[in-house]
Amino acid sequence: MISISLTVNKQVYQVEVEEDLRLIDFIRDKLMLTGTKEGCGEGECGACTIIMDGKTVNSCLVMAFQAHGSRITTIEGVAKDGALHPIQQAFLDVGAVQCGFCTPGMVLSAKALLDENEVPNRHQIREGISGNLCRCTGYNKIVDAIELASSYIKEGQQDETSSSGRQ
Amino acid sequence: MKPLQVVGNRVLRVDGKAKVQGAALYPQDINMEGMLYGATLRSDKPHAFITIDLEEAEKIPGVVKILTAKDVTGHNHHGVLFKDHDVLCAEKVRRIGDPMAFVIGTSERIAKEALKKIKVHYQEIPAVFDPLEAMEERAPKIHGESNIIYHYKCRKGNVDEAFKACDIIVERAYQTSMVDHAFLQPEAGIAYMDEDGSVVVLAATQYPHFDQLEVAEALGLPTEKVRIINPAVGGAFGGREDITMQIHLALAAYLTGKPVKVVYGREESFYAHSKRHPIMMKYKTGATKEGKLLAMEVMLVGDTGAYASWAINVMRKAGVHAPGPYEIPNVKVDSYAVYTNNPFCGAMRGFGATQTPIGSEQQMDILARELGIDPIQFRLMNCFRVGSETANGQILHESIPLVQCIEAVKDRMFQELR
Ligand code: FES
Ligand code: FES
Repeated sequence: MISISLTVNKQVYQVEVEEDLRLIDFIRDKLMLTGTKEGCGEGECGACTIIMDGKTVNSCLVMAFQAHGSRITTIEGVAKDGALHPIQQAFLDVGAVQCGFCTPGMVLSAKALLDENEVPNRHQIREGISGNLCRCTGYNKIVDAIELASSYIKEGQQDETSSSGRQ
Repeated sequence: MKPLQVVGNRVLRVDGKAKVQGAALYPQDINMEGMLYGATLRSDKPHAFITIDLEEAEKIPGVVKILTAKDVTGHNHHGVLFKDHDVLCAEKVRRIGDPMAFVIGTSERIAKEALKKIKVHYQEIPAVFDPLEAMEERAPKIHGESNIIYHYKCRKGNVDEAFKACDIIVERAYQTSMVDHAFLQPEAGIAYMDEDGSVVVLAATQYPHFDQLEVAEALGLPTEKVRIINPAVGGAFGGREDITMQIHLALAAYLTGKPVKVVYGREESFYAHSKRHPIMMKYKTGATKEGKLLAMEVMLVGDTGAYASWAINVMRKAGVHAPGPYEIPNVKVDSYAVYTNNPFCGAMRGFGATQTPIGSEQQMDILARELGIDPIQFRLMNCFRVGSETANGQILHESIPLVQCIEAVKDRMFQELR
């Protein structure tokens, strides 16, 4: 057993973990955050994508103890105060969700991308989700959704400045 | 009339919100109090008689029970068309990946550990992997007397006479490969006993009502004692039409009285479910020098592997679609489905109609090139229109917008090339 501390979705955990426990198992089996999916277990599909210290990682390829001291966001930590994140809303609005098994990973890859580059072009979007496989949609709708999300985020900021201006 | 609420409007899918939040529950996300875990022992030989020794594996602390063929309480079989699968192989394995035993343990780790301690004695028998060889009289037989399980014939006009009238004849062979659906969510499931004594199986499936029949028959229970629950399904594309773990889980819950869960990894998922039929195609197509198609003769051999699954429907559909969307007055199609010791094949998007254009369309390109006719023009000269008759004699009365489609594609294609 190794003791680690880490932050997952803004909550701090102090835990003992087995040396051979993968981060994905820690998240799914210990924290019961089952929104993180396992599609391959070997770094191919991106269904297990999480954001760790600002970067996307495949949680099936990281050992739990390696996450010591890190800040992690999983799909459960994306919505704010019960309201969908603009990326989640855009996925819904565009119809970028089919079976949904890739969706959590896609949303997190999109988030990591938009956090760094607010207005990516379609090529950059494709690159941003190049580590995530989707077997259902054919990707176009997902790229559309991320484009739409980018405009939602910009509008949201304008709304915020204009409403704060009014006050 | 009231305006339509759904048709023509954008609607949000009912399960969409849960899915974008990661809250949708797929079978691997569901856990139950006191549940046990299953692991499947699969054959690593393609064709062999087997005997299984469980003694050492059963001694491992935490192993609750190991199921083999003799534990199947009803009929040890399943299958969508023919009951040619064993729930757990009784005497013989017919492909790599055939399930032979199902270990139930207190943890996934223990169940998997026990798999390694099961001793299987294989008495190997000759196997056949080439479907053409499998059709021969002297080939090893996978089930019963013959490996040929289906022969579809289509006859229209007289191809032999028509080929004599052709100015050009192109003869080629084509081969498609085996394809996996690779739906993103590997198979997983959980089964438990309900308070009223029903066995409940919760698994991602395309076919819950049929699973119910198969589970009931294998367990020897009336259907009202079997419930199938389909939670979120992570893609399927035809690959979840056949039973994989449903009966193993149902038996395990029924015999232990406890909830039992099993999760396949990606590799096991590849072993467990069907594939798209690889099809060997021989095409002979003839036309006049003006570019009118006169005759086509096709032979298709679909390799269904060790089990039939939907082979008959798939190879019928392949046969029906083999001539492509073209008016051809003389057609002869023979389409076969054949058992081999390869992975088994069944439903996958298109159900046989996806493979044949590899042959029929390349024939069109080659004919057009040899005749010096533009390939798009050549297709427009021969393609189905309203009133056309297919090779099987169906008159297409309405909605055949193929000409418009080809023209729209042509315009876009050249725009994009410019
Ligand atoms: S499960 Fe981690 S990349 Fe596929
Ligand atoms: S929606 Fe099914 S894998 Fe992407």
